[in-house]
Order: sequence, then structure tokens, then C-alpha cells
Amino acid sequence: MRPMLKLDQLSATVGEDDEAKTIIDGLSLEVPAGEVHAIMGPNGAGKSTLSYVLTGRDGYEVTGGTATLEGDDLLDMDPEERAAKGLFLSFQYPVEIPGVPVMTFVRTAMNAQRTARGEEEISAPDFIKKSRELGAQLNLSAEMLKRPLNVGFSGGEKKRLEIFQMMMLEPRFAILDETDSGLDIDALRTVADGVNALRNPERGMLVITHYQRLLDHIKPDRVHVLAGGKIIKTGGPDLALRLEKEGYDGVLGEAA
Amino acid sequence: MALSVSDLKDKFRNPGPAELELIARYAMLPESAQRERAFEAFAETGLPHRRMEAWKWTDFKSAIKAVEAPSKAAQCAPLPAAEHVIEFAGSKVSLPDTLPAGIELHERADAQALGGAETVPLGAMTAALSGRVGGLGTLIIEVAGETSAPLHIVTKGDRDETNFARVAVIVRPGASLDLIESHVGGAGFSSFLIEIGMQDGGEVRRTVLQRGSGDEAQALTAIINLGAKSEYTQTALAFGAKVARLETRLTHRESESHATLNGAYLCAKGFHADFTSHVLHGAPSSVTRQVTKGAVLDGGTGVFQGKFLVPRTIGQHTDADMQHQALLLEDGAEVFAKPELEIYADDVECAHGNTSGALDPNQLFYMRQRGIPEAQARALLTEAFVAEALEGANEGVREAMLDAARSFLTETVR
Repeated sequence: MRPMLKLDQLSATVGEDDEAKTIIDGLSLEVPAGEVHAIMGPNGAGKSTLSYVLTGRDGYEVTGGTATLEGDDLLDMDPEERAAKGLFLSFQYPVEIPGVPVMTFVRTAMNAQRTARGEEEISAPDFIKKSRELGAQLNLSAEMLKRPLNVGFSGGEKKRLEIFQMMMLEPRFAILDETDSGLDIDALRTVADGVNALRNPERGMLVITHYQRLLDHIKPDRVHVLAGGKIIKTGGPDLALRLEKEGYDGVLGEAA
Repeated sequence: MALSVSDLKDKFRNPGPAELELIARYAMLPESAQRERAFEAFAETGLPHRRMEAWKWTDFKSAIKAVEAPSKAAQCAPLPAAEHVIEFAGSKVSLPDTLPAGIELHERADAQALGGAETVPLGAMTAALSGRVGGLGTLIIEVAGETSAPLHIVTKGDRDETNFARVAVIVRPGASLDLIESHVGGAGFSSFLIEIGMQDGGEVRRTVLQRGSGDEAQALTAIINLGAKSEYTQTALAFGAKVARLETRLTHRESESHATLNGAYLCAKGFHADFTSHVLHGAPSSVTRQVTKGAVLDGGTGVFQGKFLVPRTIGQHTDADMQHQALLLEDGAEVFAKPELEIYADDVECAHGNTSGALDPNQLFYMRQRGIPEAQARALLTEAFVAEALEGANEGVREAMLDAARSFLTETVR
């Protein structure tokens, strides 16, 4: 199977010059199209750093290795170019954007991506129709979609809004960073249904999580354990169950 | 000539070439006691300059080296309110053929009694010089009922040296006025003075656009007096000029009046916009709300000076809030702020806040991750930031104000 996302010996530091700390340390990973891979790991393993390095956030410096999406060098692109290429990050902590309504924001993003890809902008009626349908699916009312992005939203609402954006933007590859945190059982189910609806043979996903429970709802094809900035163990879905039972220490002890 | 220029000159300390020209113009105007009082007040200071505390960041004297025409006519269209337009263009004034119901205009050759304009140097100057030989000195707008449509005042030069205009507004009890103003420059030195006297239960909404070019000086001075239970809402958008000042002096004269003074400034390189206000709570149980927002680029300057004065007995039960927030969009942007609360009454609610900073990198990254290019993300965030201050604008022109802000930001924010 052709790899969609391919990381080869990727290393990255956080912080300025003398203070720079290596967080990602020779990480290699391949996610083929059509598959969902989970990355699990203890606190401080580098999970969120990995998501920011892949999406191009300032403050992270790649010091070695490569990262490609469908053969294109991600590390050479600005964040917005990576997004237009089809890379989407569901943020662990979605950011509030006062004064910019959800609908305005998503439409601006969608059209910016389309313009960058040389496609036509979405028409207003098509956009409204699509956002209503997906909003209903995720229990987001029309009133909520008119409010400023994430402002005054509960933790669970913010996460549902991340999935809403993902479903609207239809990325080629999605990274979900701790999407389960802050969700109650019902919201978890709603979010997982949304993610599962996007699974298809053309799309890859990387689900970063601390706990097994999200993986009960979003069944991964592969599970990787990230510790000390690299993948130290890879297995099938049963690996997540073992981690839950034996803890990271148990599994890591065996790997070391 | 009844007035001797050299006698007049002696009233000024070290008049510069621009002041000498203004003195000569004053000498040409018909004599009037009121005008003379205004001129005397102006002579006290001359063109205001940086050694005066209230003008330390906004120096008209050094900005106006000489009274001369700007290199270009007005570049910006007035707000889209085409009915009932009063236009001051250099030496010409055009009045509308029809007026909204409830409004009457009175033209006066000489200046009427001042509503306190002599306390502001450029207000006094405008009162002294707004007259045209044999023409209109002060336009009085009398509002006697609930007006049916907005009245639009435009000041717009056609490469004139100066454009001085003075308007007095009298709002009768229970009457209401929707006033739109477009001050789009086109003169080397434009100065507009408006005095609004509101009687009990009156309502005024004033929506202002200011936009000059980089070689013009512009002053907008407003003197507002509020009667009992009257309501005044001011919303201004300023792009500045070489030097521009929007000064508002407002007095709650009677109890339970309500004032909102909101504004936004957007300053590019070489542009300077100053929002200065002075609010006197001269009667109990009055309310003031003030939100000023600004965004400034490298080489631009924003100034906010706000003062609430609440005297001991008459200011009881004042409820007042002043907020100023500025975005420094690039290194080299300058914002000067001086918020002041001077409170002597002991049973009041007064608050103020003042912040300045850059755009939030977390917000920028979030937007870029969604595919919005950096320049567009910066413009969108800045527009959203200033939009709050423009919510109270006349709804017929608010979208045009936001469009002006948006295109400014899209074209200049990088």
C-alpha cells in the first residue's frame, strides 16, 4: 500500500537557540491512504509537538529527517499551503476568534483553500446547505454557527466545532490531537460518528490520544506508541487495549 | 480695513507663517464681537503644539508649515448617504434642496454665541475663521421633531488651501437627529467645528468618517451638551492624515443623560490619528460608555486621550466606563494613550481599561492551519477587532465603514 503520510527520521526542537530542546528525535512513520493510525504515549512524549511540526507552527525547528504528504515535502510549505494541500489539524485546544462568526470563518478558509488549489469558490447556497446538514449531524444549531468562533463555547462544543470544520473542509489527511479530551460520553459518540463518516479509501488519519476510550469509537488500523520523541512500538488495535491494561510503564519496559 | 494685521499679530507669541496667513484672513472678515472672542481665545495658544500638555502627541504647528493646497484632491468618497447632503468645499457651501421632516436650517453670517468652543484651540480658530466674506459663518441646524431620515454633512476640498466650517445643532425637547459626517480631506488644512445642544429627552446619533491624505491636517472638534434624559451616540472611524485630531468635549448638563463615544482608528505609514475626549459629569445619574479601538502599522501613529471628570456633589451616581485597545500590527507602529478618571463624588461606578499589543500568534496559526493566508488572517482579525467599536454606526453606512476598514487592511496589512 502506498504511504500517504511518510515521516522518515524526523527530528525537531522547541525553543530558541541555546534553549532549544529536542522533542522529536528520529521519528519514522507511514500512514497509507484509507487507514486510521493512532499515536499513543505518555505525557511529554512529543505527541502535540508532532502535530505542530507537521502543520508548520512557529517555534518548532526541524533539525533532521523528512515529512511528505503524497510525495510533497511538507516541511517546505507555509501552514496555509499545507492546509490547501489537504492537511487538517483538529486542535487539542481550539482557539477563540472574537468577532469572526463560525460561518464566515469556515467559508473564508474553504474558499482560500480552493483558490490556492485553482478551484472555484463555493457558492453561497451550496455552502449554507452543506453547513446546515453537517451542523445538524453534529448537534450544532444554526444560532451557534452564527456566533464568533469558539467564543463562549464549552469544551465539548469546541471539539464538535473542530469536527464540523473538518467535515466542511474535507481534508485529504487529518490529524486529531486529543480530540477526546473534554468530551462527555454523548459528545464523544457524536464526534466519533463524524470522524468515522469521513473514513474512506482516499483519506488518511492520525489520531493522537492519551487514552484508549476514543479508540473504542474510532477503530484504528494501527497503533503506535510514541515515547522520547520516537515510535518505540507498533501494533494492531489490541496494542491500545494492552496499554490501557498494563500502562505505559509495562509496555515501555518491555520495549526498552 | 478695520482691523490692523500688525495689532492682531501682536496677540500671538512667535506666529509662524501659517498663523500669519490665518491672521490675515481673519482681518478680512466682517467684525463681530463673538468672532473676536473666538479669535482672542485662539491667539492665546496659536496653532496647538507639542509643548502644550493636551497636544504633546499631536502637533499642528509643526505639521502645518504653511497654508497651502495639498498635492491631491480628496481621495476618498463620502459615506453612501446621498440624500439631504450639506457640503462644505473650500469656499463653497451647498445646502440640500429638501430636508428631512423636523429639521430647519438657519444661515448666519457671523458667529453665534459659543458653546464652549473657545476652550479648544482649534475650535476657537474655526469659530473665528469659519466665516466667508459676505457669506455663511455658522450653519444652524434646528431639530424640532423626530427626523425621518439622516442628514449628511460632507467636508471635501478640491485641492483647497483651507476648509473651515462651523455647524451648531439645536435639538429641541424630545426631538431626534441622525447625523452622518464624511470628512474626506482635499484641503491642506481642514477644520470642522460642531456644537450640539440637546434639550431634555433629545436623541442624537452621530456617525463620522475621517480620511485625509498624507500631506493634510484635519481637525474635527465637537462640543456636546446633554439635557435631562437625552441620549447621544457617537461612532467615528478615522484613517488619520499627516495630522488629524477628533476631539469631543461632552457635558452631562442635566441628570439621567446617556452618552456613548465609540471610535476606531487605522493608521498606515505617515498617518496620524488622535482621538481626544473630555466628559464632564455635571449632573447626577448620568451614563457614559466609551470604546476606542485602534490598529497601527509601521510608521503610523495613534493617540488616545480620554478624560472623565466627576465633580463632588453634582456627579453622584455617575456610571462611566472607558476602554481603549490598540493593536500594533508591525514593529515601528506607535500608539500613545492617556486615559484619565478624575472623580470627586463618592457614590459612582467608574472604570477604565487600556491595552496595546500585537495580534495573537495562536489565533494567526489557527487561521493559517485552516488555509487562510497570513495577510488575510491578519486583516480578518484586525477587522473583527475594530468592528466592535463601529456597531453603533448608522446602519445605512456601517457596512461601507467596515468595507473601508477591510480594504485598508487587505491592501496594507502584510
